[in-house]
Amino acid sequence: MSKKSDDEFKVGIKAYVSLIVAILFFSGLFYNVDGKAWLGAFDFTSLSGKFGTMLHPEKNTFVGEGGISARAGFIFALSLIPTVMLALGVLEIFTHYGTIRAAHKLLTPLLKPILGVPGKTGLALITDLQSTDAGAVLTKELYDEKQITKKDLVIISAWQYSGAGLINNYFSIGSALFASMSVAIFTPLVIMIVLKFVGAILVRLVLNSVYKKDFINE
Amino acid sequence: MSNSSNQKQTNNPLDIFVIGARKGFNIAINNLMPNIIMAFVITEILKRLGLMQLIGEVFAPVMGLFGLPGEAITVLLTAWLSASAGTGVAVNLISTGTLSGMDITILAPAIFLMGSQLQYMGRLLGVADVPKKYWPLLMVNSIVNALIAMIIMRFIV
Repeated sequence: MSKKSDDEFKVGIKAYVSLIVAILFFSGLFYNVDGKAWLGAFDFTSLSGKFGTMLHPEKNTFVGEGGISARAGFIFALSLIPTVMLALGVLEIFTHYGTIRAAHKLLTPLLKPILGVPGKTGLALITDLQSTDAGAVLTKELYDEKQITKKDLVIISAWQYSGAGLINNYFSIGSALFASMSVAIFTPLVIMIVLKFVGAILVRLVLNSVYKKDFINE
Repeated sequence: MSNSSNQKQTNNPLDIFVIGARKGFNIAINNLMPNIIMAFVITEILKRLGLMQLIGEVFAPVMGLFGLPGEAITVLLTAWLSASAGTGVAVNLISTGTLSGMDITILAPAIFLMGSQLQYMGRLLGVADVPKKYWPLLMVNSIVNALIAMIIMRFIV
């Protein structure tokens, strides 16, 4: 065989192994093997699982009770959609009326004393609460335009990195947990934002001690 | 996600709500649902292989420090890879009664403070050009944040 056609149609040992696994996975050989329920971990039908049933009609929702695996996950995910839609709808309204801008205004004068970074980095921090990617771009721009030092860059990134995109992630993904929480949903959010600062302060301390030499010219 | 609010300029709060709710639907369908199904299937595999029970027993002492059952470690480990997947696992453990509402409340801030670190390495640290030398420091920092959060939450719930 020529070298070229080799590249075009190469079947390695991995491919054959995965073919065998695929055949076994879909074959049903491992479905309901007596006394070896663990084999079901390698069986398509077993992993498809089952929907819950209305075991107790007076308290079961449409999710039912006793569902397992993929089917149960699907129905459960459906049951979460209303809260996610409500949360993001309301968040959109708050954002529209300037909640984020107000927070930015309040935050700016605190940055120098708390984190030792210039107040103008506030926008990059606030933006990160909504969008990880937009926050990262703003931070890079600040550094490229020499508005912040390398040390500032690391401190800001530390703040952004822990719990990146926090508000959006918390209300979109985290809202799946809201119904089960035993405190006001606002409480974890406040704690997370405070800890973003605590973490950044710790990083600042480490940079000022362990990595002191790195920033001697700044 | 996010910041697309300026695509359509409208001042009607009802319209704005609908725009947000639509985003919520897309996130729920495209992000939450696949992640939750993955998490449900993975926990089913772990359960069938008996690993879930093993994990629960091995990590019981550590997680006990935060007032959590040992199985809770699976939420944190998956959250580190992906916050959505971690949330999916948490949701699964609630639905089977392994974790209580109180446990979830303790875990919630930690899921996000140490969440999705792997993908944010590229999307955040890489994009912002943070020197690689400091990446481990920032990673440890996020995990420390998560641990502090769990301790605080333990006393709040």
